[in-house]
Amino acid sequence: MKKIIALVAVLSMLTTSCTKDFIEILPVDTITLDLLYKSDKDYQDAVIGIYGIYQDQYQNMYYFGDIRGDDVWDELVKGTPGAVDNFTLSNDDGLLISTWRNYYKAITRANTLLERIKEADVAVVKNKDRHIAEAEFLRALAYFDLVRIFGDVPLVTKTLSIDEAYKTPREKVDKIYDEIIIKDLLDAEAKLPASYSGADLGRATRGAAKALLGKVYMTRKDFTKAEAKLQEVTTMGYNLLANWADLWDYTKNERHSEYIYDIEYEQGLGGEGSVFTNRFTPKVTSMIAFYGIAGSVDDQNTPHQVLFDLFDAKDKRKDITAARGYTDATGKFIPILISSNNMSAYTRKYIVKIPTANDSPANWKVIRYADVLLMYAEALNENGKTSAALPFLNQIRTRAGVTPYAALSQAEMRDKIVLERRMELAFEGHRWFDLVRTGQAFPVMQKYGMKTHNTLWPIPLAQIQLINDRALFPQNPGYD
Amino acid sequence: MNKNVLMLLLAGVVLGGIRPGFSQTLARASQAQQRETTTKVSAKKLKDVLKQLQAHYATDILFFDRNVEGLVVAGDAVNFNANIETNLTTILKPLGLRYKKVKNGGYVVVGKEPVDKPEASTKPTPTIFPAAPEKTLPEPNGLRSPSADAVEAEVEKKKPEDITIQGIVKDDRGESLPGVSIVIKGSQKGTNTDASGRFKLDVPNASATLIFSFVGYEPQEITVGNRTSLDVVLKTDNKTLNEVVVIGYGSIEKKDLTGSIASVGSKTIQELALPRVDQALMGKIAGVQVKPVSGEPGAAPQIRIRGVGSISAGSGPLYVVDGFPISSIQNLNPNDVETIDVLKDASATAIYGSRGSNGVIIINTKRGKSGKAVINFNYQLGFQKIAKRPVYQTGLEEAQHYYDGVRNRNLDERNDVSGPATAWKAPVPQTIVDVLSGKITTNEDPLDAILRTAPQRQYQLSAAGGSDNIRYAVSGEYLNQDGVILNSNFKRFSVRANIDARLSPKLSLKVNFNPSYTDKTNVGGAGAEDLTTYGDLTNNPLYNAIVIPTYQSLFNPDGSYYPFGNGLDAVVTSKNPLALAKEVKGKQKGFGFLGNTNLEYAILKDLKVNVMLGVNLMNIKGSYFKPQMAAFLNELASGTDNASMRLNWITETTLNYNKSFGKHNLTGLLGYTTQRETFESNTLTSNRYPNNLVPTLSAVSGLLTGGSSNVAEWSLVSYLGRVNYNYNSKYYATASVRTDGSSRFGADNKYGLFPSLALAWRVSDENFMKSFRFLNELKLRASYGKTGNNNIGNYDQLATINYEKYVLGATGVGGYSAGRLGNSALTWEKQQQVNAGIDVSFLNNRIALTIDHFRSTNTDLLLNVNVPDITGFNTALKNIGEVKNSGWEFALNTVNVEGKFRWQTDLNFSTYRNKVTKLGPSGDPIISSGNITMIGQPVGVFYGWLTNGIFQTKADLDKGPLWNPGGRDASRVGDVRFVDVSGPKGVPDGIINSFDRTVMGSPYPDFFYGMTNSFSYKNFTLSVSLQGVQGNKVLALSREQSANNRARFRQYAFMNNYWKSEQEPGNGYSVRPNDVPTGNFRGAYSQRFLDDGSYLRINNIAFGYALPDVITRKLTFSAIRLTVTSNNPFLFTNYIGFNPDVSRSDSPLTPGNERYDYPTAKSLIFGINLDF
Repeated sequence: MKKIIALVAVLSMLTTSCTKDFIEILPVDTITLDLLYKSDKDYQDAVIGIYGIYQDQYQNMYYFGDIRGDDVWDELVKGTPGAVDNFTLSNDDGLLISTWRNYYKAITRANTLLERIKEADVAVVKNKDRHIAEAEFLRALAYFDLVRIFGDVPLVTKTLSIDEAYKTPREKVDKIYDEIIIKDLLDAEAKLPASYSGADLGRATRGAAKALLGKVYMTRKDFTKAEAKLQEVTTMGYNLLANWADLWDYTKNERHSEYIYDIEYEQGLGGEGSVFTNRFTPKVTSMIAFYGIAGSVDDQNTPHQVLFDLFDAKDKRKDITAARGYTDATGKFIPILISSNNMSAYTRKYIVKIPTANDSPANWKVIRYADVLLMYAEALNENGKTSAALPFLNQIRTRAGVTPYAALSQAEMRDKIVLERRMELAFEGHRWFDLVRTGQAFPVMQKYGMKTHNTLWPIPLAQIQLINDRALFPQNPGYD
Repeated sequence: MNKNVLMLLLAGVVLGGIRPGFSQTLARASQAQQRETTTKVSAKKLKDVLKQLQAHYATDILFFDRNVEGLVVAGDAVNFNANIETNLTTILKPLGLRYKKVKNGGYVVVGKEPVDKPEASTKPTPTIFPAAPEKTLPEPNGLRSPSADAVEAEVEKKKPEDITIQGIVKDDRGESLPGVSIVIKGSQKGTNTDASGRFKLDVPNASATLIFSFVGYEPQEITVGNRTSLDVVLKTDNKTLNEVVVIGYGSIEKKDLTGSIASVGSKTIQELALPRVDQALMGKIAGVQVKPVSGEPGAAPQIRIRGVGSISAGSGPLYVVDGFPISSIQNLNPNDVETIDVLKDASATAIYGSRGSNGVIIINTKRGKSGKAVINFNYQLGFQKIAKRPVYQTGLEEAQHYYDGVRNRNLDERNDVSGPATAWKAPVPQTIVDVLSGKITTNEDPLDAILRTAPQRQYQLSAAGGSDNIRYAVSGEYLNQDGVILNSNFKRFSVRANIDARLSPKLSLKVNFNPSYTDKTNVGGAGAEDLTTYGDLTNNPLYNAIVIPTYQSLFNPDGSYYPFGNGLDAVVTSKNPLALAKEVKGKQKGFGFLGNTNLEYAILKDLKVNVMLGVNLMNIKGSYFKPQMAAFLNELASGTDNASMRLNWITETTLNYNKSFGKHNLTGLLGYTTQRETFESNTLTSNRYPNNLVPTLSAVSGLLTGGSSNVAEWSLVSYLGRVNYNYNSKYYATASVRTDGSSRFGADNKYGLFPSLALAWRVSDENFMKSFRFLNELKLRASYGKTGNNNIGNYDQLATINYEKYVLGATGVGGYSAGRLGNSALTWEKQQQVNAGIDVSFLNNRIALTIDHFRSTNTDLLLNVNVPDITGFNTALKNIGEVKNSGWEFALNTVNVEGKFRWQTDLNFSTYRNKVTKLGPSGDPIISSGNITMIGQPVGVFYGWLTNGIFQTKADLDKGPLWNPGGRDASRVGDVRFVDVSGPKGVPDGIINSFDRTVMGSPYPDFFYGMTNSFSYKNFTLSVSLQGVQGNKVLALSREQSANNRARFRQYAFMNNYWKSEQEPGNGYSVRPNDVPTGNFRGAYSQRFLDDGSYLRINNIAFGYALPDVITRKLTFSAIRLTVTSNNPFLFTNYIGFNPDVSRSDSPLTPGNERYDYPTAKSLIFGINLDF
């Protein structure tokens, strides 16, 4: 009997030990943030977290830069692409929500890193300067895109609590340029290396920072500074690729002499590929089969007739930029007819064989050297150096296989640069921003349904409602 | 073995009415007894002592009242340490009685001489049972078996002259009973009592036995003897009130219940012949809504108890199997289940604390009782077919629709449509023209190819029995169920051994041991439980079978799969559905083990301690392989290999106290329990297969394209207590309290307290109620309690990181970022509920009604509150939401016809209202696709554009309102007319845009109900169950394809009657077909997607026939029963799709969404059940 009592007692004891620790369990497959930001590797990994966001965001850059403009239209009436094209995008569209969210995520991640790295000992964090410069470059890029899309936006330079966030106002575009974009880029260009090798290829470089800064100055119409900055880029060893078509040959190295800064995508790595190939390929089964594109395709980002009309017949860029069919293995041109399919034209800039749907290796070229040359020519021209600008413009034309221009007036030069940018950079996310930057958006786009307020996009409705203070955080005009 | 006794028992079973609940009642009684083993010997009546012995040894002791009436034994005569036979001898011998052991367990008490006690008729006391402090057992049915007397009557000598006998029949309250039937046993002769309960009857001799019977009372037999006057008291048949109901950490008699609990017994479960035990709850219990959301074999139904009380933390109930709270009951064999008890109100669930707020379902399995082994074999063979099949277009109809769609597109674009259709600017494909001209006559419905008549088989062999000290119930089962979609299948092998052992008089042991193995073959398109791999719509055979046309065969002329969208431009790009069903290999195999051990020790007579240790293990191993083939658009072959292990262990120590002081009855419970779970899983994927020959990842040479492994743990520490008190079985009070500490709770809120209180009053036992003869039971109940929901994520209170990835140097590099904002105050969701109920039964218990009304408020609901994105996070997890539920539940049980033919009806009816009263800090609504959760509305109501027919004429169109006026896709004649609800300035503006979206319907029914009619006649039983819901809507997302009027998807047949011209406007719903849609026609989530979800379903018809004993015995079985069951044979509904019970996800935010879910089946099942 006593034994039994002892047994029961022991068993009961067994079930009643160490209560406090029992209900303290820390996660195994993730950790809390505070355990990080110690070693050089930690900071390097945190920078990856910032780059990562751009991979998401830039899958949508064509909506902002291309579909919104005149050279591209979207026959797909349903959904976001049609609404972007028609200027009927609702202020609660998912595109706006994710865009706003992505950029502020990038900014927060950069801010977190910049705050924490301040105290870091350079003996431990050996690449401290580089980490700082990369974060600054990426933060500047986020703000640059934000102000070009939304106009005034909250200026966030440190990690925010929820309460603080409710009290942070939209700041003037100029203030954001002055206090963060230009500052960050200046610091970044000083600290970033000119180039990388091996496993670091793809990080932001000094050239990228300078080129982006040049673009910032251009956007602010500060042509003097733009000319100077872009001139620096022309001395850094960048060159146009001899063969324009190689820019779009994804079997070749994407970090060539014309590469300045790309958002990187790669196939077969499990979610690191881009959607561009699938999105921009027309729904023509034989064509999909010919290119070897897996999965369903989307008929988006279609060249508009006006774009076809720009090109000279012998322009090497024409057939890749805007195509009406494809040439099959036997060399026969197969036109894509308007049949049951919506699209009768497409761009081949992102066409590559992809064995898995939405896993394309095609990068998004944020800035390439041709863009720099054209901006430089534009800056020179705007600064009255029209004849100095001409050779840079002609470099682009010569490479494309079209006749270089003879001497041009400043006004002619201005028009020709605009034209050249459309032909050279179509489907690379520039046209809409060029239209807005040069004040041509409304005159050009009016006939497509644009209203004057459409130079800016609506702030996502949910954010307006959440902060719910129209003085602090108003909607853009025309979208309320 | 004495043949007479055997005969007696058999006859007793048969003539006693083959009460199907017979074995159940006994088994249940013994189970309850063994939980609270009685060692008290205070009763002095022999009858009571026998009952105690019966309870103590968990066996049957049969005796006749007249043999034991008036006899007493010494209080200490029984020695519970000895075996039952010793005790019986000790007690019976001095009284001139003896016992016989019966073949299939149990004992019969027989007199050496028939004991006649003439006074018995004038002293009816023994028939009234005093309200015992211990559990009173339902009287064994053999007790008054008529044939027993026949056996004994034979020995009596016959006397020639008639005796006139007269008397009065009264009930146990002393009221006279008119209409009582009195029959002389073994003859047709008899009479009825008159209006004053009196009777007069001539009997042939003194040994004649009279049978007094009246509905709602226990029949009584009296041997006349030398009397001429006979006053009889009939005792109310209270068996339903004496049923034992399982409550958390214990059990209680139904009459003593203070909370709201409802049960389903093994008979019902077995009759339904269902593969899963939770399916048996469908339509059976008021306040419990069971939706078979997927017809995939093995899939769980969605269960909601008393509405939806959470927004993001899950709304499913807690399952407790044999005292073990577990997360999945897929591996449980329904035939092993003795009872399912559903705890509904907070006084019942509060004992489960932070896991109780969604209701608790307690499942107890069958246990053995001492006696000879009962061996049972059960075999079922069934066939399933799709329950409901929507009607889609034929090939010709689709082609016409296509043609008109392209034509309308050309008209919209102002193209010339005068020439041949294939030469229009947007041309009609040649295939379409050929179908229309009759050149192509193929019309093969792809659904026919992937659907099938699917067999299901179930074998079970079980044995139960035991000795005084060890009892067992063991079973083995094999289930093999094919799904109605080709290649889907679910197999289960399970073994159960439940052992009860008395180790010493004070120490007993209970062991449950349940290993099981499941093997599930998935096809795409299954329910919410599935892996994301299968969730991909394009891999769903059902989706692909529905959207492709019937004018294209699934096969190429050479027999290979036709690749849809490959060259034939009249065909939507799709994968070949038959190839998906046949060539994609998906398996999930699981090994489960559920086991626990209970050691109970009686410290004192009234105080017991119980220690339970248990473990639940679930290992799952899955694989998936999709080959590369033209039929799959040449996507790379891809494969997945996944494994997981869930290990959950529990310890529990409880103290039970049980004592009566005069009329005060008290039971108490104190407990301490801990539980901990570790869940580990990993998944590896690759699409680098060199060919289709080897489906495993070994073929990819280590080139994995994805992989992860996860670990999640939680732990729970709880203290619990409960006191049940009643005074004289009239006034009841129950109070319970539990405190839970959990690893999931934030540091600031580590422990939660969950109290409850319930009161009940059995009004019918009051003296002033004695005059209400028709009323047998009237009980009023009221309860209040606090419970919680701890499904708040394992680590969500912590600011953890996310792993990120980017490409550098053309290869993937890992990184991290902050994953979320931490919240150290994170806490469980809280529920407060009040419940008021009434139980009433009258007309001799033939009508029993239970009504409950509840009101609950769920606060601190976990919400991912939107925070300004500029924090870098879009949401933060907070306890902030509030939802209220209130509802009425009615359960009515009636015995409509009693006698040889018996007809019983169980009806239940429920209604509840759900309302969100608080959301995030600014009360923002949560919009989830076509659902919205907003203050003032139920959780997840449908949200979208209201429609008002179509624009029939140009004049109609000019009135508006228009979609995108001036735009290319502006509304045109023949398009949908939406309702202009609002605009940017908050008032209607004549334009349809996002401002016009509004609440457009509710996924919740106005009410739901269930009804079961059971009939029995001689050896036949029949039961018919139906259930239904009324007044809810379904958001049919599959109409994005099947009713979109776009040329290239096959449409529902109802789309055929579309708008053709102002003169031929069609049915007013089906808009003008258009290859490039205009007028927001395809705009998701409009009223056009809403369908009526009301239905009435005959969900079960079960017919049973027990072979007559003569045959059975010849075949050397003790019972043979044949059954034919049909599940879901009939469905009455206006709903257009496959299954009106829809819910694509378990999230309360998106209820009632349908989209190519696995269709449910109807079945016909034949069964044979053999008792050896």
